[in-house]
Amino acid sequence: MELVLQSLVNGLIQGGFFALFAVGLVLIFGVMGVVNFAHGELVMIGSYTIWLVHAQYDFAFIPVLLLAIVIVTLIGLLMERFLFRPTRNDPLAGLICSIGVLFILQVVATLIGGDGPSKQVPPPFHGTLALFDFLRIPYQRLFGLGVSVLALGTLWYFLTRTRLGWALRAVALDREAAALQGININHISMIAIGVGAALAGLAGGLMAPLTNINPHMGHNVIITAFIVTIVGGVGSLSGAVYAAILYALFHTFVSVYFGGTVATISGLVLMVVVLIVRPSGIMGVKVSE
Amino acid sequence: MGFTRRDILKASIVGAVATGSASISSSLLAANKTVKIGMNIPMTGDYAPWGLPGLYGCQIVADDINAAGGVKIGSDTYNIEMVAYDHGYDTEKAVQGYKKLVLQDKVSMVMMLGGSTVASVLPWAQRRKMLTTTLLPSDITPKSDYLIATCESHPLYDVTGVEWLAKNYPDAKTAAIVTNNDAEYGLQATATYKAAFEVEGIEVVDVNLHGFDITDFAPIVSSVLAKKPDIFCMATSFYVTPLMEQLYHQGFKGKIITTTLDYYDEIIAKTSKEFVNGTIFQFPDFDDPMLNESGINFPDPGGFDAKFRKAHPNDWSAVSWEYPAILLNWIEGAKAAGSVDPTAVLKALKSNKNPEFVFGGGQWWGSQLWGQDNAVVGRWPVVVIEDGKARIKEFGSVSNWLDKNKDVLIKHMKELGLRTV
Repeated sequence: MELVLQSLVNGLIQGGFFALFAVGLVLIFGVMGVVNFAHGELVMIGSYTIWLVHAQYDFAFIPVLLLAIVIVTLIGLLMERFLFRPTRNDPLAGLICSIGVLFILQVVATLIGGDGPSKQVPPPFHGTLALFDFLRIPYQRLFGLGVSVLALGTLWYFLTRTRLGWALRAVALDREAAALQGININHISMIAIGVGAALAGLAGGLMAPLTNINPHMGHNVIITAFIVTIVGGVGSLSGAVYAAILYALFHTFVSVYFGGTVATISGLVLMVVVLIVRPSGIMGVKVSE
Repeated sequence: MGFTRRDILKASIVGAVATGSASISSSLLAANKTVKIGMNIPMTGDYAPWGLPGLYGCQIVADDINAAGGVKIGSDTYNIEMVAYDHGYDTEKAVQGYKKLVLQDKVSMVMMLGGSTVASVLPWAQRRKMLTTTLLPSDITPKSDYLIATCESHPLYDVTGVEWLAKNYPDAKTAAIVTNNDAEYGLQATATYKAAFEVEGIEVVDVNLHGFDITDFAPIVSSVLAKKPDIFCMATSFYVTPLMEQLYHQGFKGKIITTTLDYYDEIIAKTSKEFVNGTIFQFPDFDDPMLNESGINFPDPGGFDAKFRKAHPNDWSAVSWEYPAILLNWIEGAKAAGSVDPTAVLKALKSNKNPEFVFGGGQWWGSQLWGQDNAVVGRWPVVVIEDGKARIKEFGSVSNWLDKNKDVLIKHMKELGLRTV
């Protein structure tokens, strides 16, 4: 029972991180129709910002976390303006551009941090919360969970309670119809990638003290994000959040009871099963031809 | 032999200083021939910590030798030039880099990390009769005549740490092993640790293998700690930091043993000095006083450590001194052969039945496990963190352990599906 509870907490915390970067990927795909392969690298740049400015130059963690969000958002906006907008009518070109950005960002990270070992960031929040003598949660992870919930709650409010959020969802549903209603597609695309990139930067910043930071860390992020996106339903933001939590819990419990190797394989098997049994994902909408 | 390599190097340095001046040294340098030593290693990517620091270390040793007038091999005096190629632990690039080093740069030896990148170059290396070194003796096959492992005998040295642990902590009776699931590093180390624990009467209560895509070690550590092991054993190097962090947060109070503890300062920063103190591993810092004892075949370890850390403050890793030690082995072989020809150097090295292993006590070994006695095993340090600093506690003997227990090791290798001969 103790192990089940500890695993539940571990899974929920991991789910918060997964949701942050998966929702961003879904948002960009939904509004712009681009599969952003560089999304993992946006997370990586968030982590590198923390490593460089916070760990190397001793600036306080929270302002640097905000800086990471700003930097990654700017990268996202530049990608939209100079890569995705000119190639908007050709999804393949957008995808190839994002792969190019992936490599460029990896090289930039190598230039900034050098070759060699993965970077480590000492946790700004030391210590562990111990509950009932058996449940142990590092404060750094609790902080990450709290910020993730806050960010996702804010995004939910933005998308469901503001005119801009409605416009964004309208473009995601049908871009041409939205344009006919007077919605500025360029403007909305900038907002979509800005929000998606900001969430990626936030995820990277929050994960920085908890993971090995290196130029290739985005690889695992993007695989996880794709699994979550497909399981949740491509284009479904709520599906991405539910799938992130479900997948994190699934991965955590399989890791605990069957080992890490089985967990990795099971995650991919889960994705394949969902694609076969319910191609639209758990929250996706089936569109008739 | 009357002189050790250390004596010769010291004499060379003293001689260069005594005779003179920079101008004399310059004229000596100008007259010297150059021998090129290749390094086909990962300098970028996940494996870079096991490549790049080795190049830095070799450059320091080569610069010292060249500044002291070079090395006399046969009737010629040579300066040493390091030539490196970054294969990023990619087999295709490894083949490309190997051919470039041999055909274009005309190196006399190629040093490599090991694993799939070595396997990819082996057929060509064998045909070209090019002396090649690896840090993973499990790369050696019955047909790989030109592949040797003269320094690191990964992961056989792990047995010395377990021996020391059992001797000093007799109450520790159960162990759990966590490692990545690859055959080259993780499973080899797992089999070795299992054998070492069995020999010491320590029960292995869990073996937790994971892939390279793990981003969160909390569930793995929770799962392992639920088995209540007295010893947490990491047969890996890639993820020691996040594993240690999780052990700290999840309140582990037992003994920790690991193959490497690279960048332990960062681990202390993430956890605490008190927590990391007592961790047992196998790779010393070279400012360790015990490396000044007789029997150590590495010139001025403390000076090397200081130079390295001054030039590359954040890059010291397990391989920082290993590739330089191999370079020194090659010099020893070339001197004995009176030639830089790879075949002659190999023959000279193999004909020495007591090779000058970096920590002493070396002997050629390997036919029982890999089909050829092409690896040097000998004494190996057991290192423990004390007051936040790595300190050698004793030198164990890998060769003695193998003499007594190689059948246990072979049994565990076979159980995990690993090649034996």
